Amino acid sequence: MFNRQVTQRIAFVLISLAAALVILPIFAIVGYIVVEGIGAINWEFLTTMPRHGMREGGLLPAIVGTLWLTVGTGLVAVPIGVGAAIYLAEYASDNALTRAIRIAIINLAGVPSVVYGLFGMGLFVVFLRFGTSILAGSLTLGIMTLPVIISTAEEALRAVPQEFRLVSTSLGGTHWQTIRRVVLPQALPGIITGIILGLERAAGETAPILFTVAAFFLPRLPSSIFDQTMALPYHLFVISTQVPGMPLQLQYGTALVLLIFVLSLNVLATLIRRHYRQQRVW
Amino acid sequence: METKIRIENLSVRYSDGTESLRDVTMDIYARQINVLFGPAGGGKSTLLRTLNRLNDLADVVTQSGHVTLDGEDIMAPGYDVIRLRRRVGIVFARPVPLPMTIYQNITYGLELAGVRERQLLDATVERCLKQAALWDEVGMRLHEPAHALSGGQQQRLCLARTLALQPEVILLDEPTSGLDPISTGKVEQTLQELKASYTIVIVPHSVQQAARVADWATFFLQGELVESGPRDQIFTNPQDRRTDEYITGRFG
Repeated sequence: MFNRQVTQRIAFVLISLAAALVILPIFAIVGYIVVEGIGAINWEFLTTMPRHGMREGGLLPAIVGTLWLTVGTGLVAVPIGVGAAIYLAEYASDNALTRAIRIAIINLAGVPSVVYGLFGMGLFVVFLRFGTSILAGSLTLGIMTLPVIISTAEEALRAVPQEFRLVSTSLGGTHWQTIRRVVLPQALPGIITGIILGLERAAGETAPILFTVAAFFLPRLPSSIFDQTMALPYHLFVISTQVPGMPLQLQYGTALVLLIFVLSLNVLATLIRRHYRQQRVW
Repeated sequence: METKIRIENLSVRYSDGTESLRDVTMDIYARQINVLFGPAGGGKSTLLRTLNRLNDLADVVTQSGHVTLDGEDIMAPGYDVIRLRRRVGIVFARPVPLPMTIYQNITYGLELAGVRERQLLDATVERCLKQAALWDEVGMRLHEPAHALSGGQQQRLCLARTLALQPEVILLDEPTSGLDPISTGKVEQTLQELKASYTIVIVPHSVQQAARVADWATFFLQGELVESGPRDQIFTNPQDRRTDEYITGRFG
């Protein structure tokens, strides 16, 4: 029916359309939230406590809470994740233990976030008696973030040319000296990018903090890791569904703040990656 | 001539089943340029990497025989391979500067060994760059990244880096294969000067280079040692027909 040229043209149009459709929702979502929410953003919104059943005032405790949780998640996930990645990339031989670890990581990545929340509540809040706290929330988010950090860090380590390892070894370097002084510095930009992307995801999650740390309404700042705290994603959920008569602009404003927080982490990761890629010599 | 390394009945087989060396017995002589030559796939690189146990990093499944350095069995279990690699340095075919400055590339091995004295490090950098005939070209820009150097300079830097550890033996695996004739000449000249104090084992990148630099030459063919002897004998009056055919260019 169609000749080859026409078929070719149709295929091109369809593929281009698919590519355009990928960009469209991103602009639509960001644009819509910016337009609807920008009016709510002011100094008071960012630096004061919520008032009047959260229908007035600011977001301060939720912003501070999300910062605490992001840092806490990093403290949990980075040492374990990077350590595991170094083991997998540099030490692990292909044996039953290594395969078990890899299967565990793949499965961790596939666990729904609400299941992490329930698991965190069961283990950290109830069994270990940490209570509903930043500690329990950070541990839960940290475990959820591990697969992202491990796989990106392992990939970054494997990308370092084998020749560097051979040279370092031939100059009398031990395995650890070679990793510490040649491989890790070269892999660091990739590892940092992975860490930031992992933390970004953790910062935006609602379900894992639902039962482990997030407070419905708590008009004071947390003072220790054993405190509960408000957090942006959960706060957004609460004011969108649980508070009658909530001004729409405040909802969009909150979404915008969360979006800016997450996107700026993303931009930071991109900048780091670009900066080091220009300096790379291989 | 004094024997530095003695290789007895060495056989090496990789995990993919290829037999790289078959029952090789030979001596490496001290303060000589020992040349290992022959067509590709002859096991020369494998032999080099056995001498400082870099093959430990490769997929070697079976390794049998004995290699002794000054009478010490370097393949003995528990042998200090880190110390071995400081005594037996290697320069690879492709120059791979570490992603650091020129200065740091040379001091890297010493710093791994715990040397911290600034004066000693400075002096070593100067000595090694002079030995490798590179000082005149880079002495004024030691703290620039090493990868900015030309290929020939990088290879001489790799030689200087190996010399920094003051090894007793220097292994060179086709060190001039990617270099222009002038750089090649500089490296060969350097080797002639170094042999007064070092034992040199080189896999040359051509028969011509083998004939130019050798004091003692050994011909390898498909994992087997065919013939070994002083340069004049090997290149003018070889005893084995296969050696003769190879150096006269009938195969290769």
